[in-house]
Amino acid sequence: MLGLHARPATVIAKLLQQSKSQVMFSYKKETVNARSIMSILMLAVKKNSQITISVEGEDAEETMERLMEAFENQFGEAAG
Amino acid sequence: MAMYVVGDLYSRHSAYLELELIVGSEWLWRAVAAPEAQRPGVSLSGYLKNFEVRRLLIFGQREVAYLSDLTSRTRKKRLQEIINTKTPAVFLANCDVLKEVHEVCREKEIPLFKSRFTANTLLSKMSYLLAEDFSPTLSCHGTLVEAFGVGVLIQGDSAVGKSEAALGLIERGHRLVADDIVQIRVREGSYLEGTGPELTRHLMEIRGIGIINVAHLYGAVCVRDEKRLDLVVKLEEWNDRHFYDRVGLERKECDLLGVKLPFHILPVKPGRDVVLLLETIVLNHRLREMGYNSAKEFNTKLHETISRKQVEASREKEKISGQTAMQG
Repeated sequence: MLGLHARPATVIAKLLQQSKSQVMFSYKKETVNARSIMSILMLAVKKNSQITISVEGEDAEETMERLMEAFENQFGEAAG
Repeated sequence: MAMYVVGDLYSRHSAYLELELIVGSEWLWRAVAAPEAQRPGVSLSGYLKNFEVRRLLIFGQREVAYLSDLTSRTRKKRLQEIINTKTPAVFLANCDVLKEVHEVCREKEIPLFKSRFTANTLLSKMSYLLAEDFSPTLSCHGTLVEAFGVGVLIQGDSAVGKSEAALGLIERGHRLVADDIVQIRVREGSYLEGTGPELTRHLMEIRGIGIINVAHLYGAVCVRDEKRLDLVVKLEEWNDRHFYDRVGLERKECDLLGVKLPFHILPVKPGRDVVLLLETIVLNHRLREMGYNSAKEFNTKLHETISRKQVEASREKEKISGQTAMQG
């Protein structure tokens, strides 16, 4: 479990594909568009660090819920 | 912006400014609050009104000559007044290291540098570098490419095809600067320069293929580390209700960090060769920059043709009415 690496980023991008909202991730003063896998990877977020998620759009609440679920489930990776 | 410290100035510019650290390698954490450097000026005489302590301080031969004429006690006192705990660093430009300067810097824990440039030269070089380091930056979602020497920022929603368009341009011999995230900064207060984050340099993410490294696939000639932004093109899904630019007489502009750039909206729809259209926009831009505006030239010619036709038509009318007058 290294943090937000390629697989979690793909899970997030896949999840957001159905969403109509604009989603941004902020980490250490960098804010990126969460729909872009490369942008998420560029942040190089370590395990147990804090990021800020902002969702804006018609299905913002639903999108945020699904994102929270994915984060809490550790993106389906083995517990560790 | 992240805090800028003396250590940043030293590590980035010590070679260019020919800086030598005399004392203070443990004090390089001092923050440089504003991109300002100064020579002490009249404050050396004890006149401290309006003296801004937070600037980087540069001493030159003139300052050293003045200080040398003072007694050691007065010298130390004056230096203690102007070298304050808030002073980020002190620079000695092509002059002797006075022991009192050394002492005061050690007491207040302020880094002391030496440079072989004269004070005015050092001041002007440092001011320029500080202004560049402090200039505003912006991280934006888009792809930056260089085509025919022109820097084009391709923007648009995810999945509209920015990366694929960039890949098409690369295949035709143009260059990738950054994909997905472009870090833009203002240079010399007047133009914009874009670059990609080092971690993802030369990488592109293409749906259905994955992450590819274009430098490895196409060679070093197809990538570039930074490029000036000349044009912005926004790719949009074709919208029947939107009125797209049909004639091209008006120049649309967009504003990034206070700099205005030509802006085009390019509608995307299956069957339209986006890559060819991007190339055409760039070539047309180059032509305009050279002074030829094809749309305007055509419009002028059209006006001339219309007015010529009007003149001919009114002459015809006169001729006819003249003839009828003669007959009647």
